[in-house]
Amino acid sequence: MGDVNPQERGGASARGPLFYIGAAGLLLAMAVEAVSVLGRHVGIPLLGAIEIIQAAILLIATAAMVSTTISQAHARVTLLTDRIGPTAQAVLKRFSAFLSILFFTGLAAGALSLAMDTWNEYEQSELLHIPFRPLRAISFLATAAIAVLFLRELFQRTGERR
Amino acid sequence: MSGTLGVLALLILLTLGVPIGVAMGLVGMVGLAILLGPEPAIVKSGVVLFETILRYELGVLPLFLLMAHLCFSAGASRDFFDAAARMIGHRRGGLALASIAGCAGFGAVSGSSLATAATIGLIGLPEMKKRGYSDALATGSIAAGGTLGSIIPPSGALIVFGILAEQSIGKLFTAAIIPGITQALFYMITIVLLCRWRPSIAPTAQRASWAERRAALLRITDVAGLIVLVLAGIALGWFTPTEAASVGAVGSLALCAWRRTLNRKTLVDALAQTLRTTGMIYVVIIGALIFSVFMSVTGLASQVESLMASVGGGQLTAVIVMTVLLLLLGSVLDGLALMLLTTPILLPIIVNLGLSPIWFGIYLIRTMEIGFVHPPIGINLYVIQGIAQDTPLVRIFKGVVPFLAADFLHLSLLIAVPALALALPAWLGQ
Repeated sequence: MGDVNPQERGGASARGPLFYIGAAGLLLAMAVEAVSVLGRHVGIPLLGAIEIIQAAILLIATAAMVSTTISQAHARVTLLTDRIGPTAQAVLKRFSAFLSILFFTGLAAGALSLAMDTWNEYEQSELLHIPFRPLRAISFLATAAIAVLFLRELFQRTGERR
Repeated sequence: MSGTLGVLALLILLTLGVPIGVAMGLVGMVGLAILLGPEPAIVKSGVVLFETILRYELGVLPLFLLMAHLCFSAGASRDFFDAAARMIGHRRGGLALASIAGCAGFGAVSGSSLATAATIGLIGLPEMKKRGYSDALATGSIAAGGTLGSIIPPSGALIVFGILAEQSIGKLFTAAIIPGITQALFYMITIVLLCRWRPSIAPTAQRASWAERRAALLRITDVAGLIVLVLAGIALGWFTPTEAASVGAVGSLALCAWRRTLNRKTLVDALAQTLRTTGMIYVVIIGALIFSVFMSVTGLASQVESLMASVGGGQLTAVIVMTVLLLLLGSVLDGLALMLLTTPILLPIIVNLGLSPIWFGIYLIRTMEIGFVHPPIGINLYVIQGIAQDTPLVRIFKGVVPFLAADFLHLSLLIAVPALALALPAWLGQ
């Protein structure tokens, strides 16, 4: 699960904007939480820490899901796919990409529908008043981007990798 | 009926290699669309998505992963094995025992069965080969020892179960401590018994000097101290699991700096690996939660419960039936898929039977671990074969059999004595 396979460590490739967004979110969440713990133990609590971390987690999660899709690193059961020929593998890969498009389009539609419903309600967090509008927009954009990435995978020629 | 069809559809999609999260989420979404209508299905999926990616408790996952990757960069994996090998490596079977101890120590850092088996395998297998250990014992002990990564906290599997079952992750971590330690002890006893029965499989070696032992122990004090701080902090209520994960990540950054392994490349690699694994797990969790909503709407859990009640025999019979079912499913599904598929169906039954969901989490992960080392999937066995390429798979299967026997004995103990998991959280007032 927490895959720290040393044989794969050289393969970390994401170095684009997604990496920097996710990494910034990760370091922000780590730093804010650590300062918050320290603050609580010395009697100076950091108000709103949880809200900052929630926003950071959203950045981490969305950037990470898109990165995972780009690296084609989604978890799969490979009991059958490892034991069939390359042609059948290619067919199953396309089938899998097609279903992934359906799923992420469904998620994007759900995210868009909720964003539209709540757009004029000016949702925000309680203490720091972090607006939810951009967060909802990011969740929609990320799932839509993943659907597009799977669409690209669907039309990729056999043997071609990105 | 719709629930059973949903499970069948899911099993087919998983077998066809559809990503686990996509398969679960799509079956859940389509199932909800059929039962409740397309619009509620889409809206519910959107709600699950947003709530999951905004969930504070899930911050524990990327932060613990970052801690693991940084500890790995600091060289912690080799140090645990080295320390155990210096202490007991000279005894008969000592290096196999050291592998189990190394797996337990590194398992606490990595939180992953596969990573633990691969990492300790890379270090331990060549050492055992050099000292003339039987290849079956060497590969079997590391394949089995690797499974400790899933149970010894902080563990990725426990975090995912906690989110899916809406149980306290801190309590799950505390509950896993005694089962994790006793599992390692069971493996060690197995090695000792095997070496007594056939001494030739694990020759003795020269004893390391006390200076070498002290040096090896000193090298693990910082990482071991960090792990103890994180786990004790959660168990004693000093931090929430998310806070503990951030303390662990900051601590491991400091540890890399202290060991002079912190540089731009190390940090970028650790962050990139963390993001990749995090993305994979988030998709799986979102899919599993949508599937879980679908399962609750179908009422499949109550149907399975009625079926079990018709068999009669109470709690114990129900748990035995579940165990057989989980072991059978574990033969064809990988651990994560098994946990995600069965939790929404079996957890309500467990609760209605009056059993603890925390105990169920530990029991489920323990059962899932057995699937890592038994054919035909037994993913740890293939990982080990990838490292020990000159050892035929049949020898690795043979080597893991005594450890599987220990696993079944340990699982039976966990079923017969739930206090094995529940005593520590209760004692600490969690």
